[in-house]
Amino acid sequence: MSRPASRFISPSLQWGMIGLIAIALSLWQAGLFRQTVVNFNGFPLLWRFVAASVHPDLSYDLLATTLQASLVTLAYAVCGTFLSVTIGAIAGVFCSEVWWLEVLRAKRLRYFGFHSVRAILAFPRAIHELIWGLFFLNIWGLDPLVAVAAIAIPFGAITAKVFSEILDETPRQPLLALINSGVAPITAFFYTLLPQAFLNLLSYSFYRFECSIRSAAVLGIIGAGGLGYEILLSLQSLRYEQLWTFFYALLILNGGVDIASATLRNQLGCASRIDLNSHRPTKRNISNSRIFSLFPIAIAGVALSFWYIQPDLSKIGSPRSQQLLHQIVQTSLPPNFTGIAELIPLSVETVAMSVLAIAIAASGGLLLAFPAAQIFLLSGLLNRRGNANLFPLVLLVIARIVLLLCRAIPAPIWALVVLYVLFPGILPGAIGLGLHNLGILGRLFAEVIENLEQPPLKALSAGGTPNSLVFLYGVLPATMPRFLAYTLYRWEVCMRETVIVGLVGAGGLGRLLTEQLSSFDYQSLIVTLGAFLVLTFLVDWISGRVRRSLRAS
Amino acid sequence: MSSDPIISVDRVTLQFGQFTALTDISLHIVAGERVALVGSSGAGKSTLIRLLNGTLEPTRGEVQAFGQKLHQLKPKHHRQIQRQIGTIYQQLHLVDNLRVIHNVNAGHLGHWSFLKALISLIVPLDVATATQALAQVGIPEKLYDRTDRLSGGQQQRVAIARVLVQNPMVILADEPISSLDRELSREVMEILCNCQSSRTLIVSLHDVDVALRYCDRMIGLRRGRILFDAPSTAVSSEMIADLYRL
Repeated sequence: MSRPASRFISPSLQWGMIGLIAIALSLWQAGLFRQTVVNFNGFPLLWRFVAASVHPDLSYDLLATTLQASLVTLAYAVCGTFLSVTIGAIAGVFCSEVWWLEVLRAKRLRYFGFHSVRAILAFPRAIHELIWGLFFLNIWGLDPLVAVAAIAIPFGAITAKVFSEILDETPRQPLLALINSGVAPITAFFYTLLPQAFLNLLSYSFYRFECSIRSAAVLGIIGAGGLGYEILLSLQSLRYEQLWTFFYALLILNGGVDIASATLRNQLGCASRIDLNSHRPTKRNISNSRIFSLFPIAIAGVALSFWYIQPDLSKIGSPRSQQLLHQIVQTSLPPNFTGIAELIPLSVETVAMSVLAIAIAASGGLLLAFPAAQIFLLSGLLNRRGNANLFPLVLLVIARIVLLLCRAIPAPIWALVVLYVLFPGILPGAIGLGLHNLGILGRLFAEVIENLEQPPLKALSAGGTPNSLVFLYGVLPATMPRFLAYTLYRWEVCMRETVIVGLVGAGGLGRLLTEQLSSFDYQSLIVTLGAFLVLTFLVDWISGRVRRSLRAS
Repeated sequence: MSSDPIISVDRVTLQFGQFTALTDISLHIVAGERVALVGSSGAGKSTLIRLLNGTLEPTRGEVQAFGQKLHQLKPKHHRQIQRQIGTIYQQLHLVDNLRVIHNVNAGHLGHWSFLKALISLIVPLDVATATQALAQVGIPEKLYDRTDRLSGGQQQRVAIARVLVQNPMVILADEPISSLDRELSREVMEILCNCQSSRTLIVSLHDVDVALRYCDRMIGLRRGRILFDAPSTAVSSEMIADLYRL
């Protein structure tokens, strides 16, 4: 760093203050302290909703519907993941620095090639799946293809970015050693870099699958079918018993996928998302041959999923779709800038919503992550007398169920529930987003805690340090940087997800976007989308800057 | 054996930004010579080796290999030359999570087609050559082990086996024995020296005794300059003392 570090105001403190100010301003923007936000008339309805959780509808017909809807959601996720990983693998190679620099040896062209591919990929990534979904809906009509493509395109772009980062951070010397012994660069690439990066790529693909299943549920809400769609129908017709049946199905689906993926990733030795980009030596418990035995299973699963949802692939290139696409492009030009003044307050609302959402998610996630982590229970670290204590176990189960419930239920559904007791505005949207992301962040935090290096803690403990101080001096300092990094990553996601709570009227640019999409006002839509992209890139830039400055300190 | 130099370096200076790693180096090596590069750490031994295999480009001066100016060649010809120069790196640069046979087979990649290389990653090809090379370095039983499960000395042998499979005219070895004990050092040097008499060997060493025993010519490097370049028999203890003087 250029400036000498101040003794009192460290970068983390500085950013912390800025964060707190941002949260306070966002609360002000949300109307807190200025107007009544709580609608007390809604409490009886909320109570009916909560009470229904203990007696879900278990009739045979509904269970059959639930099973079918769950399979549809799962199949969307499988197909979406398959396509996004395929797109990501191909595009990821082409937007990695190592490909342009070492394989193509394009020294001068590198900046043009590599940066242009990256820039092109930034656009599909910045637009949320839901917007893609609504867009494809206008072209292809209601078809499973819509859901699969809406997952595949933005996730493909995200996967490409992460894959390229993994490739770029894989040790490059073996590749160079081969190239400099006269091996053709592309052969050397496949022979050295891919095998080295393979486990990380695979483990990230599993993580993408977890995201896809949540996304598949959200896409149901725009009519793509599956559990999200059924949930929205039951919620709108106030059939809470049915609603909870679907909730529990979603819970089982998400829980199952999360556990399976976590187990596999753990076996591969790449337990967490951030570890992918770190240089920590990974512990590998699985041999290559066992990984390859997973491939026939995966291929069968993908084939089965495509067969189950029967997407009408002929629609992709059909004259009718082309005609509609042509129409959309034509009607969206020239852009209509008349509503641009309105965009500024809406942009402020959008950012405020994302800040509040991440604040809720991070603080809630932090509170629940510690009881949800196994470490204290199994190692007996903070329970050194070793007497079997039931209390932490109960706490662990409760914390995990709460986290699972939070992340399994899509944010717009949470927002609709919150709307029972809050007046419409950005606050219910922020709470909805916050609750959903709380579940995700809490789980990621818990993974960080479980992967803590134990020896330093044991050393502290062995020195007679009381548990509370082991926590303060050992656990918290070791986990906090990662917590912050995850929180900032997630803030970027929250920013994009403001769109999906906009769908249920939570305000911000998201509401305007969905309105303009469904009223076919493409001329204004293109301007709003532009504003949203600018905002997204801005948030990404701030988040990236903060992460870099925290890492440096 | 012809007396034309197989490798010649002509008045080469190499700078990394402000730092001058090599200053005004000239040397000629004929086929079949065994040359030791000696000098303290930071003297420029590794840099010189990376210059000779075409990884680094000189700032001034030129490097020729097999009569061709290395840095004016088109990529294709450059690669053809590089195939005749095998390098054993100090850090080995093996692909850790592949099995030993793949790392040994990497020596073939200069000749294999892309498709053959891909197939070999799934079903190892040319097992016989790999086994023979591993037998030469004394670890044939490790053929199907994962490379990162081997000890440091065994990995060193895998790196040597890779170069043996590549079968180049010139072998460059950067500190091949720095992390090995005496017995292993002796074995590795024997392998390197005994593989073929017509093959040229250029090896950087920190151990002057080993250099004296196995090489017929010694080049002393000090702070990026050649201090002496003489037959091993003509190297005196004063010259060595001068080399390591602070």
